[in-house]
Amino acid sequence: MDRRSFLLRAASASVLVGTGSVFGNLKRLNNGIWETSANSFDLVAIKGGEPDLMFTKGIEALGGMGSFVKKGQKVVVKPNIGWDVPPERGGNTNPKLISEIIKHCYAAGAKEVVVFDNTCDNWQRSYKNSGISSAVTDAGGKIAPASTEGYFHDVTVSGGKSLTKAKVHELILESDVFINVPVLKNHGSTQLTMSMKNLMGIVWDRRYWHGNDLHQCIADFAPYRKPDLNVLDAYYVMKRNGPRGVSQEDVVTMKAQLISTDMVSIDTAGAKLFGIDPIDIRYIQIAAQQNVGRPDLDRLNIKRISL
Amino acid sequence: MRYLRSIRQGVASLSIIFIAIFFLDFGNVVPPFLISTFLTLQAGSAVMKAIGSGGIVFIGLAIVLVATALVGRVYCSHLCPLGTLQDIFIWTAKKNFKHRKFPYARPPYLLHYGITFFIIAAAFCGSVILLNLFEPFSSFGRIISTLLRPLFVLLNNVAASVLTKQQIYILYEIPLKSLTLFVFSTTLIFIGGLYWLSYFYGRFFCNTLCPVGGVLSLLSRVSLFRITIEKDKCNDCGLCERVCRARCIDSTNRNIDFAACVGCFDCVSSCPTLGLKYAFNKNGYSTQPPVDPKRRRIIVGSSTGMLSMIGFPRTAISESSPYEKSRKTPVVPPGARNTERFTNFCTACHLCVSSCPTRVLQPSFLEYGIAGVMQPCMDFAVNYCNYECTLCGQICPTGAIQSLLPDEKKFVQIGKTQFVKEDCIVETKKTDCGACSEHCPTKAVKMVPYGKLFLPEVDNQYCVGCGACEHACPTKPRKAIFVQSNPIHGIAKKRLDQRLEVPVLPQEFPF
Repeated sequence: MDRRSFLLRAASASVLVGTGSVFGNLKRLNNGIWETSANSFDLVAIKGGEPDLMFTKGIEALGGMGSFVKKGQKVVVKPNIGWDVPPERGGNTNPKLISEIIKHCYAAGAKEVVVFDNTCDNWQRSYKNSGISSAVTDAGGKIAPASTEGYFHDVTVSGGKSLTKAKVHELILESDVFINVPVLKNHGSTQLTMSMKNLMGIVWDRRYWHGNDLHQCIADFAPYRKPDLNVLDAYYVMKRNGPRGVSQEDVVTMKAQLISTDMVSIDTAGAKLFGIDPIDIRYIQIAAQQNVGRPDLDRLNIKRISL
Repeated sequence: MRYLRSIRQGVASLSIIFIAIFFLDFGNVVPPFLISTFLTLQAGSAVMKAIGSGGIVFIGLAIVLVATALVGRVYCSHLCPLGTLQDIFIWTAKKNFKHRKFPYARPPYLLHYGITFFIIAAAFCGSVILLNLFEPFSSFGRIISTLLRPLFVLLNNVAASVLTKQQIYILYEIPLKSLTLFVFSTTLIFIGGLYWLSYFYGRFFCNTLCPVGGVLSLLSRVSLFRITIEKDKCNDCGLCERVCRARCIDSTNRNIDFAACVGCFDCVSSCPTLGLKYAFNKNGYSTQPPVDPKRRRIIVGSSTGMLSMIGFPRTAISESSPYEKSRKTPVVPPGARNTERFTNFCTACHLCVSSCPTRVLQPSFLEYGIAGVMQPCMDFAVNYCNYECTLCGQICPTGAIQSLLPDEKKFVQIGKTQFVKEDCIVETKKTDCGACSEHCPTKAVKMVPYGKLFLPEVDNQYCVGCGACEHACPTKPRKAIFVQSNPIHGIAKKRLDQRLEVPVLPQEFPF
C-alpha cells in the first residue's frame, strides 16, 4: 500500500466510522420514539425487592448494562453521599445499589469505574459512614475525592438563565460514561431531591446556586452533561427533615427504584412516587420548558416491574 | 554508663517523632486514645488536665514527677519535644565549629524560678498568655502545626495530584489553610529566638524561661540519683564541661549544678576516664545558689513587668463592627463547657486545630482578648462542627476541651442561631434558597411556607450551635444566619418525632 492510498483509505474509514457514530447518537436521541426493541423503554420502575436485585431486573429491561457501557470505557458513578449518616437514614444513596451498578459496569467491559461526590458533611466521614466507600472497593471500583477546588475545572453552561458557568469535577469531564444515582428524599430547599438536584454534587460552588435562584440554576445546569443513565434509589425514603434528616423516624422503607436516561422523566415519576405533584416542583417545570427532557409520563413507554 | 546517652537519643527521637506525627496526621490515622495517653507524659499540659479534672493525676504526669524526684530532669532531654528540638539546633552548632563549647555559667536559678512562679501565678489569675508562649509542648505544637505542617500538606498535594492523574486515589488534596499571620509570625520569632539561644547558649531556654523546666528543676533538688564527678578519676581534661548543653558542669571545681542538668548524659558517656558517675547519692543536693544583688534587681524588674500582664483583658475586646447583628463573643468547641474555663485551661498547642477533620477549629487572634491570643475558636467561615465528631475532646492534652460521648455531644449547645430575615436570599431576591436548613443536623432551622417560597425559621431549643447554617449561607458580605455563642454551654432539646407509619408499598405505581 503506497502512502496515497493509505491516506485515502484512512480518511474514508474515519468518515465511515464518524457517520456511524452520528447515526448511533441519533438513534439514542430518538430512543423511545420510533424504536421498539427490548431497550426501548423510557422509564423502568421496579418495586418490592432489595436495591441490588431491583437494579438487576431493571437494567435487564433496558437491554443490560451493555447498552450504556462499552468495552474499555471509563465510567463515573455519582451517588448522593452528602451526609455523615448510615444507609438506613436514607440520607445517601443505598450502598448495595452502588455496588451492584459497579459490578454491572465491569461485566459490560468497563475499564474502570470511579465514584465520587462533593459532600456537604465532612467527606471522609460521609464516604465511610454512608457505607459507600466500602461498597465501592468491594465491587472493585475506585472512590475518588472531591474535597478541594483543585479537582474542579471551569466550564461554560450554555443557554443558562441564572447559571452560565460552573466548576465541574474532572472525573465528569474525562469519563466516557456518567451514571447518576440519586436517592429520593425530602429536601428543605427544593422539596424533593432526585436526579437533577443530585448534579449539585459534581460542581464546586453550590453557594452561588443557592444565592441565584436555586431552581433555575438546577434546571440550567441539567443539560450541560446529561447523565447516560439515571438510577433513582427509593428503597429508604426520607419523608421529612430532609435532605439530612434528624433520625430514622423520618424514613420509610419504600423498596422502589426508577431507571431512565431522561432526568425530567425520572424526576417527574419520582415526585409522584414520593407523593408530591411534580407541577409544584419548580426546577422540574423549568427543565421541562427548557426541553431538558420529557415530563409527560402518560405518553412514555414505561416498564413496571413488581418483585 | 555510656549506654545512657544512646538510650536518651533513642527515647528522645521516638518522643519528638510521635508528637510531630500527632500534629501532622491530617488523615486522622492515629487512634485518639493513643494520642491522649501518650500526651499525659507532657508535664505542662498534663498539669492543666489534672487541675481541670479535679486533681486526677494521669499516669504519664505521675511518671514524670516521680521520675524527676528520683533521677533528675531526664524529662527535659528524653520526653520534651522542644528540648529535643533545641538539641538538634545545638547539634548544628557543634557541627559548624569543631570545638564549639558551652562553658560553665552559674545557672540563673533565682531568675528561672522567679519567671516560673510568675508564669504560674499569672495563669492562676486567668492570664495564660505567658504560659502559652513558653510552655514547651505547646510551643512545639505550634512550630509543627504552623511551620512544618503546611510543607507536608504541600508535598502531599503534589503527590496527590500526580497520583490522581494516574487514577490512583489513595492520597487526596488537603486545603492549605490560610495561615493566621499572628500565629505564624509569633512562631517564627519564637523558633528564631530559640535557635539563636541554643546555638550560642545551649539549653538556655530550659534553664531560664521554661516554666516546666523551672518546676522540674526545683523537684530535681531532692532527686536520689544524680551525676557527680569522681574526684579520684578526674584528670581535669574539661571534656564534660565542653559537651554539657546545660552549661552546668564546672570542671575547674569538679562540681555539677544538678538542678540545671537536663539529663542528656553526654558527660557521662564522653568522659575518657569514666570519671562521671550517675548513681544513688545519699548526700542530696548541697549547692546553695549564691545571692547576687544585681540579679535580684533583674528578677524584681522582670517580674513586675510580667505581673502587669496579669491584668490583660481576658474577655473579648468589643468588635468595632458597626453591624448590630453579628457574633459578640467567639464560639468554643463542645467539651469546653464554658468560655472562661476553656480560656483558662487552653495552652494553645493547636493539636485540635491540626486534627479537626472539618478544620472548623482555628487559632484566634484577639477574639478572646490579648490574654487568649492564639487559643482556638470555631471559625464557621472555614467549615462547621461535624454533628457526630468528638475528636477534639478526645485528644486535647490540657483538658480545656473535655472528652464527650457522641450522644452527649449531640445535645451540647455551644451557641444559638440568629436569623436576619432582611439579609436572607428568600427576602432580598424572592427566590428559594434553604442552604441553612439543608445543613442543619437537628432541623432547628426549618423551611416554612412564605408566599410561594420557603423561608428559614429557627427553633433554638433544638439548636446545637454547630454553625452548619452559617457556613452554608450564601449571602455576602455578612451571613443572614449565624451562631451567637453561649459563653456557658447549654443543653439542646432532643427532637421527638413520631415514627412515620409503617409504609405500605403502593399496589400500583402512581404513574
